[in-house]
Amino acid sequence: MKKKIAETMRVSIFEVFEKMFYIFLEPLDDESNEYDMEAAIRFEGFLSGEMRILLSKDIAKTMIHNMLGLEKDEIITQSMEDCSKEAVNMICGNFLGKLDSTKVFNLSLPSFGMNSTSIEPGKNVYRMDFDSDEGRVGVIIDANGRV
Amino acid sequence: MSFNVLIVDDSNTMRAVIKKIISISGFKMDQCIEAGNGTEALEALTDNWVDVIVSDINMPEMNGFELLKNLKEDDLFKNIPVILISTESSDERMQDAFNMGAKGFIKKPFTPEAVKKILCEVIGVSNEEEDSGNNEGFDF
Repeated sequence: MKKKIAETMRVSIFEVFEKMFYIFLEPLDDESNEYDMEAAIRFEGFLSGEMRILLSKDIAKTMIHNMLGLEKDEIITQSMEDCSKEAVNMICGNFLGKLDSTKVFNLSLPSFGMNSTSIEPGKNVYRMDFDSDEGRVGVIIDANGRV
Repeated sequence: MSFNVLIVDDSNTMRAVIKKIISISGFKMDQCIEAGNGTEALEALTDNWVDVIVSDINMPEMNGFELLKNLKEDDLFKNIPVILISTESSDERMQDAFNMGAKGFIKKPFTPEAVKKILCEVIGVSNEEEDSGNNEGFDF
């Protein structure tokens, strides 16, 4: 189960960042703490739990720049919040859909904070960190259920 | 021929992204009206006629499914085609959307090509017809 979740997470993260934000990520072997903001979403269904995305300010601004063509010095915090929430919403939905497209799941409205908090490591917690030319991304999922 | 589009999403940024993607896809858009949730969308429709509604599902106050239900119960609005756009795209969820009267479903993440294809199918114009005179391509 752990391998399937990890592989599906990785594919979903790459797909969302490449398709929506035109950013190509490289996996990092070590955890990074160089993040400035996070967005979280809860999900219920055949798997239940929470997913968080951690972003550096640089990559959040690049995501918006690439989607909307705004100059980086024009980008406000509200736009970074919207973009972070949308990213975690898309990654989570894409991830659950890829795990099992026949099963319905429900997503909460995403939340956002300008600091990143930690989730205690545990047997159902999976974390991945990525680097890119534009900054860093981390994704953490705490999931319970059967895949 | 160009069309009036109502975009419903609680995120300003995503509304701007959807609007931009529709524009660069070559789909001819006359007026673009925006609403932050289903309630705002119904209010917007009292003052504006639109040819198609593109709505997110997961929104506060009134979500996309509730908006669709309200539209189908209103004689004035029930024939406006609705395209739902969401990450929640399980087979059952999509079937629910079509059973409730949605004419299209766009899965996030999406490409401009996918958005245009579904818009053209729902409005009933061919991709070729919409392509004529458009040489801009999908240049991000």
